[in-house]
Amino acid sequence: MTKTFIGIVAMAAALAAAESSNITGTWNMGLEGDHVIPVALVLKQDGRNLTGTIALPTQNAGSRVEVKLTGEFADGAFKLSGTVEGAKEPTTLAISGKLLDDGSMEGKFEMPGHGHGGMSWTAERLKERK
Amino acid sequence: MHLSRRAVLKGVGATIALPFLDAMAPAGRGLRAAERKIRLICVEMVHGSAGSSLIGARKNLWAPAGVGRDFDLTPTSLRSLAPFRDTLTIVSNTDCPSADPFTASEIGGDHFRSSAVFLTQAHPKQTNGADVHAGLSLDQLYAQRFGQTTPIPSMQVCIEKDDQGGGCGYGYSCAYTDTISWASPTRPLPMVRDPRVVFDTLFGVLRLNESPAERREQLALDRSILDWVQASTRRLQATLGAGDRARLADYLDNVREVERRIRAVEAFSLSGEVREQPEAPAGVPDSFSDHVKLMFDLQVLAFASDVTRVFAFKLGRDNSNRTYPESGFGGAFHPTSHHSGKEAKILEFARLNAYHVSMIPYVLEKLKNTPDGDGHLLDNTVLLYGSAMGDSNQHNHKRVPFFIAGHGGGAFKGGQHLKAANGTPLANVMISVLHRLGVDDIASFGDSEGRFEL
Repeated sequence: MTKTFIGIVAMAAALAAAESSNITGTWNMGLEGDHVIPVALVLKQDGRNLTGTIALPTQNAGSRVEVKLTGEFADGAFKLSGTVEGAKEPTTLAISGKLLDDGSMEGKFEMPGHGHGGMSWTAERLKERK
Repeated sequence: MHLSRRAVLKGVGATIALPFLDAMAPAGRGLRAAERKIRLICVEMVHGSAGSSLIGARKNLWAPAGVGRDFDLTPTSLRSLAPFRDTLTIVSNTDCPSADPFTASEIGGDHFRSSAVFLTQAHPKQTNGADVHAGLSLDQLYAQRFGQTTPIPSMQVCIEKDDQGGGCGYGYSCAYTDTISWASPTRPLPMVRDPRVVFDTLFGVLRLNESPAERREQLALDRSILDWVQASTRRLQATLGAGDRARLADYLDNVREVERRIRAVEAFSLSGEVREQPEAPAGVPDSFSDHVKLMFDLQVLAFASDVTRVFAFKLGRDNSNRTYPESGFGGAFHPTSHHSGKEAKILEFARLNAYHVSMIPYVLEKLKNTPDGDGHLLDNTVLLYGSAMGDSNQHNHKRVPFFIAGHGGGAFKGGQHLKAANGTPLANVMISVLHRLGVDDIASFGDSEGRFEL
């Protein structure tokens, strides 16, 4: 009886952990350059697999480009990568990050060959409203 | 002789409304409190404040440390308001959640939403088309209730380039960036940048399709609109007592002085000299402070003559790179607001905030020196100043800058700093302002959740 109870509790805890560590959703991500640039990071987690998009501002003020992302999530941390379509030169980006205890995320954003050593970022889940 | 409150000086092509004169009061008595009309000025400055950042809040760069009546303005960007401390109600620590993104596609569009939120506290619909939607703005709510008996219900003026048309970015119409004044959720009101247009509107001056060459000819004639109403002025003066004659003469002197300054700016603009803002209408001065002061002088004249009781005044434009050399700091506005969270840069941004606020004592002094019945205009005016942006470096809408100046005919005690509980929407303050101003039959405003004790 006791063993069964412990088993149920352990299973519930594992399920709760899996639930809380699922990063599917829309994230309001702040790229920390010379100021904080808010960008939309939309993710879908299927087991360890991640897909999604990030909407990055372009050099034309007020416009954005959406980049498709793929990656993997494991042990509370993840890696994503994508290619900017339509750029003058082939441009790839890499995002690494981890889920924090308070439900927010943080990490590093890199665009190799674009003159900066990467940017730190933080993100909070968007409270979607209508 | 009794004179109607709506009596005017009339000439061919100009109509000048009059200030309140003793001859307008029944049986020679002054304007009683119940007859006083409260004037409203709503001023928006974009890009939030240095004091909205965490470091800036700790250093009291916007809101003072003390609350209640015991507060010190010295470290704050509001220090120039010290001579008017007793008229001041500082409300700190409120947020504008309607300026936050609601959906993924809205993330990053904060600069293109903020101005539309300031006086509406409503979330703007993301659209590049004509189907814009925000909310009825506070100034318009007031004007619809109390501005209908004046010749002009309300006026909307601005300092920076307006009416850009089309889309401004992130899928938002420029209507959201161009104006703070909304006559209905779907009707943004255009703002007037040219002091000449404001002057001509106030004084009924007709200039039908005047070309720049014709304008130059008019300027060369060096005639004032007061010349156009000379005969009417003489006739009226002959019927007035000594006090009213002096009051009328002071008022007309002020009209002439404002007109002279506008003409001087136009003459410079049309002279071929290099202008700092070559795209601006001829009546727009190069200097920010000259422009703001002209606009404030026009507002005081409008209030004195009761042509209108409501102004919305937009001092800047989101993403503006304007510089303010008179502030003593040369950095451009938008990049300076992106201070990277570094203390030295936050302090530089605070200098710009302090400079912008330092325009306000000018109008408060003018209002104080302008008679209004048995008191002065400052007694019967409320000025709201703020922004829907908080920390522009984060592009957030928390701890937004906001203060109220003026007693509004006794509606506001003044001389106090009220710090809101965390998460209080600015809309709660705005609905309470409206209630105090007599719009007391509305249960909500924008995203208000309740009232705020002022």
